[in-house]
Amino acid sequence: MGLTLGLLTQPTGGIHVLILGIETATERVSVSIGGHEGVIGLFEVTKGRRHAETLVPAIEFVCTQSGIELDEISVVAVDVGPGLFTGMRVGLASAKAIAQALRIPMIGITSLDLLAFPCRHTDRVIVPVIDARKGEVFYSMYRQVPGGVQQVAEPAVGPIEDLVADLMARSQDVLLVGDGAVRYRNEILEGFHCEIGGDAHPSAAPLVQLAHARALREEWVNPRDIEPVYLRAPDAQINWSTRAART
Amino acid sequence: MLHLRASSTADTHAVAAAVAAVSRSGDVIVLAGEMGAGKTAFAQGFGAALGIGEPITSPTFTLVHSYDLDGAVRGIRAMHHADLYRLDRTSEVADLALGELAEFGGVVLVEWGDVLEGVFGDHLTIHLDQDPDDDTDELALDRARIIDVAGTGSTWASRWDSLRNRLAEFTC
Repeated sequence: MGLTLGLLTQPTGGIHVLILGIETATERVSVSIGGHEGVIGLFEVTKGRRHAETLVPAIEFVCTQSGIELDEISVVAVDVGPGLFTGMRVGLASAKAIAQALRIPMIGITSLDLLAFPCRHTDRVIVPVIDARKGEVFYSMYRQVPGGVQQVAEPAVGPIEDLVADLMARSQDVLLVGDGAVRYRNEILEGFHCEIGGDAHPSAAPLVQLAHARALREEWVNPRDIEPVYLRAPDAQINWSTRAART
Repeated sequence: MLHLRASSTADTHAVAAAVAAVSRSGDVIVLAGEMGAGKTAFAQGFGAALGIGEPITSPTFTLVHSYDLDGAVRGIRAMHHADLYRLDRTSEVADLALGELAEFGGVVLVEWGDVLEGVFGDHLTIHLDQDPDDDTDELALDRARIIDVAGTGSTWASRWDSLRNRLAEFTC
């Protein structure tokens, strides 16, 4: 079950693909450029949640400091969530605008994938947990496979109690990672003994690494086909009939 | 619930200022009432009380207007004024991410928010209506209003006495 995320695809001689990675799904703004030599440049700031003000200057900074012109980029990778609506809106709009202007394809990767992937060296079940606000979290589960991780539970959103119940039902040795795990540390540890560690926020560095492996397999899409992953409540018609005065 | 009477727009502004005085970062305030009931007038009084100098206008066609405060007031760095009137689907409301705006140093006023109160968590509901006993011209702008204030959740329960005292002169 689930797509395997990994780095096993090696560059096939002479293909040099430069990836611009944009990450704004949590409070962090993270921008990275990388390619076959790994991550070349990385800027991130995890305070203030000033996505709109920080992102574009951050892209300019990473390009300048790594000596790369924007038109050398071949693919724009972006975190498609789940996470902060206000952050993702800025990241997705900027990433799509750059890709469209440069006429290059895009690769979208979920925030849960990006949290799990850097933990790939553990043999425990990796559970990325992202704060979904109002006592709820987005979460999923992954396990180590050669060269990467594989998702073993579909992404879900629910109250923190649901996650704890899920962990208890599975009773596996788990590593929790993410800002949701940090925020609800006490609630989680009261219900289930486990380790909470790793980087609390997804980063554009693994985004670029994972996107590079996919780019070599040409697993990219047109910018218009990149959609945010909200995992929110099902859409419904607003019941304006109770407010007859509106019509 | 507090049942109030504001005899003029100045009174509506004063009621809004009293609510603003107990508001803090993270608050969601639902503004309910028909067209012309005074929802935007309330928002104007609320914003002025927070020290917002620029004109506060109805966000009916722009969905959300945000106003930065010069300095933080009880953690509030910005007032966000939203209007759900044009929206038809719950996903469109979710796209506005009003909860995120509130959580991050904001106070959010939501006109027509009463259609979706379940999504706002703890919130204050201000229901405005023209006073049926006011016998001035129906088209007059400065008519009396009946304002009902109700709190949902513990964050408002803890401030209720303070709010009631501040609004005592308007209670009817």
